[in-house]
Amino acid sequence: MTLERTEELALNLGPQHPSMHGVFRMVAHFDGEIITKIDPKIGYLHRGLEKLAESRTYAQFIPYTDRLDYLAAPHNNMAYVQAVEKLANIQIPERAEYLRVIFAELARIASHLVFIGSLALDMAGWTAWGYCFRDRERILDLFEMTAGSRLTVNAMRIGGFSQEVPDEFWPALKSFLDDLPEMLEEYQGIFYGNEIAMGRMKSVGILTKEDAANFSTTGPVLRASGVKHDLRKDAPYGIYDRFEFDVPVLYGCDSYDRGLIRLLEIKESAKIIRQAMRDIPEGPIMAKVPKVLKPPVGEVYHAVENPKGELGFYLVSDGSTKPARLRIRSATFINIQLLPAISPGWKIQDVIAIFATLDAVLGEVDK
Amino acid sequence: MENKEILRKHVDELAVKVNGEVQEILGALVLTVKGSYITETLNAAKNFADVPCDFLHDLTAVDVGEQFAVVYQLSSLNGPQTLRVKGMIDRDTPVIESVTRIWRGANFLEREAYDMFGIQFKGHPNLKRIYLWEEFEGYPLRKDYVTESVEKRAVILTMKPGE
Repeated sequence: MTLERTEELALNLGPQHPSMHGVFRMVAHFDGEIITKIDPKIGYLHRGLEKLAESRTYAQFIPYTDRLDYLAAPHNNMAYVQAVEKLANIQIPERAEYLRVIFAELARIASHLVFIGSLALDMAGWTAWGYCFRDRERILDLFEMTAGSRLTVNAMRIGGFSQEVPDEFWPALKSFLDDLPEMLEEYQGIFYGNEIAMGRMKSVGILTKEDAANFSTTGPVLRASGVKHDLRKDAPYGIYDRFEFDVPVLYGCDSYDRGLIRLLEIKESAKIIRQAMRDIPEGPIMAKVPKVLKPPVGEVYHAVENPKGELGFYLVSDGSTKPARLRIRSATFINIQLLPAISPGWKIQDVIAIFATLDAVLGEVDK
Repeated sequence: MENKEILRKHVDELAVKVNGEVQEILGALVLTVKGSYITETLNAAKNFADVPCDFLHDLTAVDVGEQFAVVYQLSSLNGPQTLRVKGMIDRDTPVIESVTRIWRGANFLEREAYDMFGIQFKGHPNLKRIYLWEEFEGYPLRKDYVTESVEKRAVILTMKPGE
């Protein structure tokens, strides 16, 4: 018996395509409807941040970090300023630590809300997208009333936090957290509990535990493959060791679990924010940091748990005001390698969903 | 023995074998070896008894003048151990073995290091530029890369030192 084969078709997807989450481009090869090979092409948003850093002072680079994973800007700020503080041995005030945690976890919720919305949208679920963006708006309002901007918040400084939060911040934050459980129930009902969404994602795009570890995968994608690894627990940075929270782990290894894990993480983030709100002390928010910062000769690798995985900064100082080398280890740049590995054998619409569950943000992929 | 002491013992033993140098920089254990020993070193680190450093976090390069350091950040998903391995290679012949056979996740990372530093990874399945286009001249993250505009660059590159 001979198997009939159709002629191979190469289809170019992106860089300008609604399902490509920015300017990602891939060349997909088909046999009939089935994907045989995927060739990702990146670099359309490459700005050479690592090179730019070598001509900026340490403090001047903070706004650039906002442009990495622009859906969770405070996280990138935190990773960078903590790396510099480690290098220059700067202790920061307690209140700043708590504000950092609150902002970082709010950013995690905001980022995951965009994830849920765009995952639904990629499978033509317009309604869930609307719900998620409605609620994310409230977090962006919180950022705006503190830092003045909504997306590229630039909230943190080397040695502390940029400014004190206004009085109306706390009631607004509290009411958001109070409404959160209801919101999550809505997403559960409208998207995760939806029969079509389940059919499209359950048992699709299997990523085994071994593959995930071998591909240097981090973040929710790794945890949805049954590996309990979260830097907030395993290598606590800042004051994360003071909070009680769980690290959700799912064992389905499929698109659905990679989607669902974000919903569970939002709950944990809310828990952390509540504890931080309860414990936050009064006091200064900036340490005394020299105006011209010259860290001693040395090098440091500091990684934090970004909503999308591990964001690491490898800084090499030569004792001058500018870093000799600044390396950004971005999570989705590495996670995106999974796409060619797990896509073959699935249909194009499944691959769009698989790509959405990897939650790539091209600002971070292309640096 | 504590995790860190066991790791230190293993790294010291390994350093003798591969003729490397062990340092502790800001609390992080750093093993520096010659580029030609990198596969042996990383394979050994991956299989340390009790404290395997089997998870590759990051692979990058640093321009340190006469040489390039190819830097590997290792740790594990099952323990707190972390190790930084540096493979030193000559600037004129920047060739090092690829680690894509050990960690498939090194694929894009090595392509990036090739793109930015021009380091040749022997045995890489698809060593092409990843961010920049194929015709791009030069390697941007090298310290001698001229960042001026294209017109000025041609002039600067032909200048002799001191001009």
